[in-house]
Amino acid sequence: MPAPLTKLLNTSRKYSMWVYQWGLACCAIEMGAAFASPRYDVMRLGVIPFPSSPRQADFVVISGTVTDKMAPAIVRLYQQMPDPKYVISMGSCANCGGPYWDSYSVTKGVDQLIPVDVYVPGCPPRPEALLEGILLLQEKIQNEDMGARWRGDPIVVS
Amino acid sequence: MSSAEGTEAAADAAPPADEEEAAPRDDLREGLLESIRAELGDAVVGSHIRPGDDLWVRVTNESWRTAGTVVRDKLGCTYFDFLSVIDWLPSPFGRDMDSQEDLTVNPVEAKAAVPMTWGYAGGETRLQVFARIYNIELGHGVTLKVDVADDDPTIDTWVPLFAGANWHEREAWEMFGVTFTGHPHLINMYLPGDFEGNPMRKDFPLLARRVKPWPGIVDVEPMPGGGADEEGEGE
Repeated sequence: MPAPLTKLLNTSRKYSMWVYQWGLACCAIEMGAAFASPRYDVMRLGVIPFPSSPRQADFVVISGTVTDKMAPAIVRLYQQMPDPKYVISMGSCANCGGPYWDSYSVTKGVDQLIPVDVYVPGCPPRPEALLEGILLLQEKIQNEDMGARWRGDPIVVS
Repeated sequence: MSSAEGTEAAADAAPPADEEEAAPRDDLREGLLESIRAELGDAVVGSHIRPGDDLWVRVTNESWRTAGTVVRDKLGCTYFDFLSVIDWLPSPFGRDMDSQEDLTVNPVEAKAAVPMTWGYAGGETRLQVFARIYNIELGHGVTLKVDVADDDPTIDTWVPLFAGANWHEREAWEMFGVTFTGHPHLINMYLPGDFEGNPMRKDFPLLARRVKPWPGIVDVEPMPGGGADEEGEGE
């Protein structure tokens, strides 16, 4: 694919990202406050936080404590998202288990289930940190070679 | 559940005071205890009254359902508060789960095994089921306790008495391994369906701590203003 076309395509994609919110714990409250409040206003970054299903989403924010019981549902709805799809892991719990790293029921990081593009640290992260995570994801999308991605193997999680 | 169990266990840790010596006599709760004794007779194997506060009654395993019925119907305690289990086994990993790492990081003497102790109204077995039911109109409640056998922890269900006991008993079943005879739907509620073990039992090992030591002991961060450790990351 010609480079200018790739650049145009990627610019369009990165400024129209429908985010599908997976709120699991207290980080979900922070995510809601960061996405919905006029003070932080993600829509100025082109993030549209209300798809009606994962099938219309471009990326998902996993915010909160992933438990082993919730894990199959996360994988299933991730599989339903159309490619290209991205994942932001928000907060310590989704990154690595966080304060519950020794629990009998908590998955030690959502990256054990699905591939994660951006990890946002914090417990919970500041809204600015979440917005920076989105900017990093946009940077990744901007520099992506869509042709290579389309030619490559699809991402399959089991 | 763990927090409810923890506070209850902490409150129960005090040795049972002799009822006769309890300074202010609580006529209301003495009366409640008498009416329970009148109905159940020898099935009441232990009791404790904290004057002006609360009443604990321990009954035999066979009379668990009867005791619930009596307290609900004769004493008017129609509000089911909670049902849970206490595991009185002293933790084999030490009181705070850090002792395994204490032994490896610092050459500390292994702690001696602590004898099992029971709280208010006594006990004989490791696992005790207990439930609290409450009289909303008169504002008093009763905490019923019952021993369950160590080798086969089984108890009658309370679902026919209180529909709300359903989920409490399911949780007690999956977390402590106590079987509730006659429960209509005894399946896992919080844990994944293929989970093995009863994680709230004291001897359930946290495998993550076996793989990685508790970081609180090995990574001690220097306190701000702690002198020699000042230079470095914080500057």
